Amino acid sequence: MAEVTLKGVSKSFGADTALDNVTMTIPDGSFVVLLGPTGAGKTTTLRLVSGLDTQDSGCISIGARDMMGLTPAQRDVAMVFQQYSLYPHLTVRQNLEFPLKSPILKTPDDEIARKVGEIAEVLQISHKLDNKATMLSGGEMQRVSIGRALVRNPSVYLMDEPLSSLDAKLRADLRIELKSIQSDRGATLLYVTHDQIEAMTMATHVGVLDKGRVVQFGTPRQIYEDPVSIYAASRLGQPRINVLPAAVFGGAPTTAQSIGLRPEQIVQGEGEESLVQRVEHLGDQTRLHLSFKSHDIVTVTDAHTNLKSGDIIRIRPKNPFYFDATGARLA
Amino acid sequence: MIDTSIDKAAKATPVGLARRIRGLSDRTIAWIFVAPTIFLLLAVNIFPLIWTIRLSFTDFRVNRPNRVVEWVGLRNYERILSDPDIWATMQATAHFLIWTIVLQVLIGFALAFLINKKFKGNDLWTTIIVFPMTLSPAVVGNFWTFLYQPQIGLFNYAVTFFTGADPASFSMIGDVHLAPWAIVIADTWMWTPFVMLICLAGLRSIPDSIYEAAECDRASKWRQFWTITVPMVLPFLMLAVLFRGIENFKMFDLVVQLTGGGPGNTTTLTSIDLKREAFEKWRTGYSSAYAVILFVTVFGLASIYVKALNKVKER
Repeated sequence: MAEVTLKGVSKSFGADTALDNVTMTIPDGSFVVLLGPTGAGKTTTLRLVSGLDTQDSGCISIGARDMMGLTPAQRDVAMVFQQYSLYPHLTVRQNLEFPLKSPILKTPDDEIARKVGEIAEVLQISHKLDNKATMLSGGEMQRVSIGRALVRNPSVYLMDEPLSSLDAKLRADLRIELKSIQSDRGATLLYVTHDQIEAMTMATHVGVLDKGRVVQFGTPRQIYEDPVSIYAASRLGQPRINVLPAAVFGGAPTTAQSIGLRPEQIVQGEGEESLVQRVEHLGDQTRLHLSFKSHDIVTVTDAHTNLKSGDIIRIRPKNPFYFDATGARLA
Repeated sequence: MIDTSIDKAAKATPVGLARRIRGLSDRTIAWIFVAPTIFLLLAVNIFPLIWTIRLSFTDFRVNRPNRVVEWVGLRNYERILSDPDIWATMQATAHFLIWTIVLQVLIGFALAFLINKKFKGNDLWTTIIVFPMTLSPAVVGNFWTFLYQPQIGLFNYAVTFFTGADPASFSMIGDVHLAPWAIVIADTWMWTPFVMLICLAGLRSIPDSIYEAAECDRASKWRQFWTITVPMVLPFLMLAVLFRGIENFKMFDLVVQLTGGGPGNTTTLTSIDLKREAFEKWRTGYSSAYAVILFVTVFGLASIYVKALNKVKER
């Protein structure tokens, strides 16, 4: 396992800039999640680290070694592709064995069988080992694809939305499995997703990407509790942070353009009146859709609340975030 | 209500006809649709086949329609299968088949592999390579006789260029040992592009991401070629072999134009021999038996082959 660093890495495809001067360090043994919407440059970052693509400028190193001009094999990376990329003419077992059967490794057969069996168990595909790769459901293919990376012990794991096509229960199971495999092995993992729950639950570090730039890099808590901008603040948190004009509540700094309120930054029962529009009982919590001075606010309240639409509730901000006209956070 | 063209057509149909059409069951309508095709197939395929089988047990001669036709049982078959000349044509056919397929598969796959690399002008090259296939076989046969000309032929001069042998010292068409190769070379020149196109379709069907995954799994280019490229192109390649095999089993035009079956009957393929028996010697019953034997051979080989092909596809 090794530390991965990117220094001033840029990449464009024709006129489109995919990555713009990206600098970040993925510490040895960390689980780094790249967050951002489609086109933010997440997958491009993975492909550059893997060596499948080459950056236009900047420097990528793994374990303090410059990776310029090296192939994925030389970099010793394992990658999980978003589109699975299984070997269609091989069985699940053969797919999982494929990386271990590399002549460079010379892994003994019983060792291969043991590793494949172990991984298949973890990914709940043991019963499908002798199926052809094309005879699987999307979720099963995705698990085989994850398994093909996990049978190895590379310098870094790269995963491109590996849980995206799984059902909710399996996704929750595999989140825990992936996290424990990573921490057991002390593996370095670079993980792309736009699912914030995956980011919050698994990541030791989160990199927020926006149009090819890293806007914030830190622990999930840092990004949640201390976002640098509206954009970064909106990446994490369910329900999303509410952004209103700064003037709707009194007491905003003069340079503030907007105020950001997470549910826990809204005190209920004090302050100014707002109208309850809709009440969503989610079981463990209840979401309130409020209308406040013709602005919509979504917040969370007690699971067993008696509030119903049409009620009036008083709200007041508590330690809110203030942002300037560009969306940057005011200290 | 909006009047679609279907609604209009329905309204324009006379009531009587409409009732009659509606009275038909789905099954009847289905039969009405396939009936013309079935009739055509019966008329041009099945009936002639059965008639040929019938004739193969007689001594019928089509140029003497008034002669009394006698049933000869299996005598035609016995005579064909024990005739060394026919076995010689079978051997010539086998030689032609095997070598054209081997050469076309190897060269066609190699060309497809090269042309599949992304380089400037590969579309133009594909077009140029495909040219021979678009010519008429008779034309190809005819102009290869010029290429093989010992005095002026380009082919002999090319051989001279590489080996230093005197171009007039050998004749591809005139020599009993070289003539079988002459037809193999001409057919390979003409049909390799076809195999290339099918292989190219196979190569293009392999997504880049599979190679990328293999790259990350540390498979060498060599291993990628043997574990990904070859198995995934194999069904396409086998299909190309099937097409070329069936085509070349009934090869006639190119070879007749090029060598006329000679020298001797070293390049007399079965279909050329069959044509002579049937339409030069007019031994209709005998040649019918000959045709049935060929039919059973091709049909049997093709069935076995298609089974193998399906197995490869399932893999």
